[in-house]
Amino acid sequence: MLQVRDGDGETLGVLFERYHAPIYNFYTKLTGDRALSEDLVQEVFLRILRHRQTFRPGTPFRAWIYQIARNARIDHFRKSRPQVPFEPEMAPTVAPGDPAQKQQESELLHRALMELPEEKRELLVLCRFQELPYEEVARLVGCGVSTVKVRIHRALQELRQVFHQLQAAPANSAQRNARQNIPPRRLGHEV
Amino acid sequence: MKCEEIAGLLPDYLQEGLSAEQKKTVERHLESCVECSEVAGLWKKLALIPDEQPSAAGRQRFEAMLQAYQTGRGDEGLTRRAPDKGASIWSVFQWLRSPVGAVAWSIALVALGAYLGLQLGNAKTNSQELAAMHTELTKMRQIVALSMLQQQSASQRLEGVTWTRREGQLDPQVLSALMHTLRHDQSVDVRLAALDALSRHAGQPQVKKTVVDALQEQQSPLVQVALIDQLVEWSDAEAAPRIEKLRQSANLNPTVRQRADWAISKLN
Repeated sequence: MLQVRDGDGETLGVLFERYHAPIYNFYTKLTGDRALSEDLVQEVFLRILRHRQTFRPGTPFRAWIYQIARNARIDHFRKSRPQVPFEPEMAPTVAPGDPAQKQQESELLHRALMELPEEKRELLVLCRFQELPYEEVARLVGCGVSTVKVRIHRALQELRQVFHQLQAAPANSAQRNARQNIPPRRLGHEV
Repeated sequence: MKCEEIAGLLPDYLQEGLSAEQKKTVERHLESCVECSEVAGLWKKLALIPDEQPSAAGRQRFEAMLQAYQTGRGDEGLTRRAPDKGASIWSVFQWLRSPVGAVAWSIALVALGAYLGLQLGNAKTNSQELAAMHTELTKMRQIVALSMLQQQSASQRLEGVTWTRREGQLDPQVLSALMHTLRHDQSVDVRLAALDALSRHAGQPQVKKTVVDALQEQQSPLVQVALIDQLVEWSDAEAAPRIEKLRQSANLNPTVRQRADWAISKLN
């Protein structure tokens, strides 16, 4: 990053190679919107170029780029459209060969994750998917390490509740539809 | 052990941060408690949501942006690496900014203040003396900033811009030098820094006009995007036609065009 800061644009390509997929996944898991995630990744690297002079030697680059990524998302939602409601086809496809049950469980989990309040979802994404240690997440979100741990536990408890509700919901919905002779709802974007 | 006690250990258990002893304690509890076991199980199950690969289009957009940036920089990198003519002056400034230099600088200022105080005699009150010292210090800072903005080396000019940020109110001469830097400095970095510094002085009508004018002059996509963002930040509706004009320019970088579209929709 110091090379980028000193004007070596080529090195930014190396950083892009290393970080664009993790940052993209940070966004897809937070927003469930692939197109928006692609745009935000571009915004992050544009901001790195624009603000590279503010990077201080000795600062961990990963912490810096996630700070930029968080700010870019906050600014985006402050300035523009609300988040797209989650739809099943937004869920990533589980690797071929995995049983259908796993795919269904993955979809339900993703849906449950998307139904958590934004703060809790972000903490789970940072700690579980991005595999950032609690200390790093605490610095990132500006609170104590013990607070992060308490919030992670609460987020998991809430995720459990939502997941159970969603597991029960498709069955209830099918029974209700059968009683009322309503055809199953077509899955798709309604935005 | 109760669930409340386990709750304190569970997050560390999930990130494998417990001692062998603590780990055993948690695992014994998980065997007998359905709720805690489900919570821990969910953490593992989250791995079922796989990572996705970003599209190739994202990489192409990034490469286009990087290419545009490097084109915008031109031979600036070479300029920066050229030997500094003002190196000796710069080393003095560097020394002044080092911890030892800062102490010396502070002592000198206190001594100067005391001397001025004695010279001025008892006619003035303490607060007047302090105000005079403060004005003197501000003037000195602005002189340093002004002098650094005129240096050969881009990094020195960048430092100059940083000095201007230390002042709440800028001397008209420094403000004018900053606006000149935004429009004509050969370094993208210095122009971007100047824009950041000027964004704090939106109250000055000349500043907004300079930013709008710079929109038509700048060739670097990075600076163009920064200017557009700034105008949106200021909600400067009068800038919309100028952004529209930029949007219609031939050979405009696609990222800038996209940003201009967004800005026009925000400002109208």
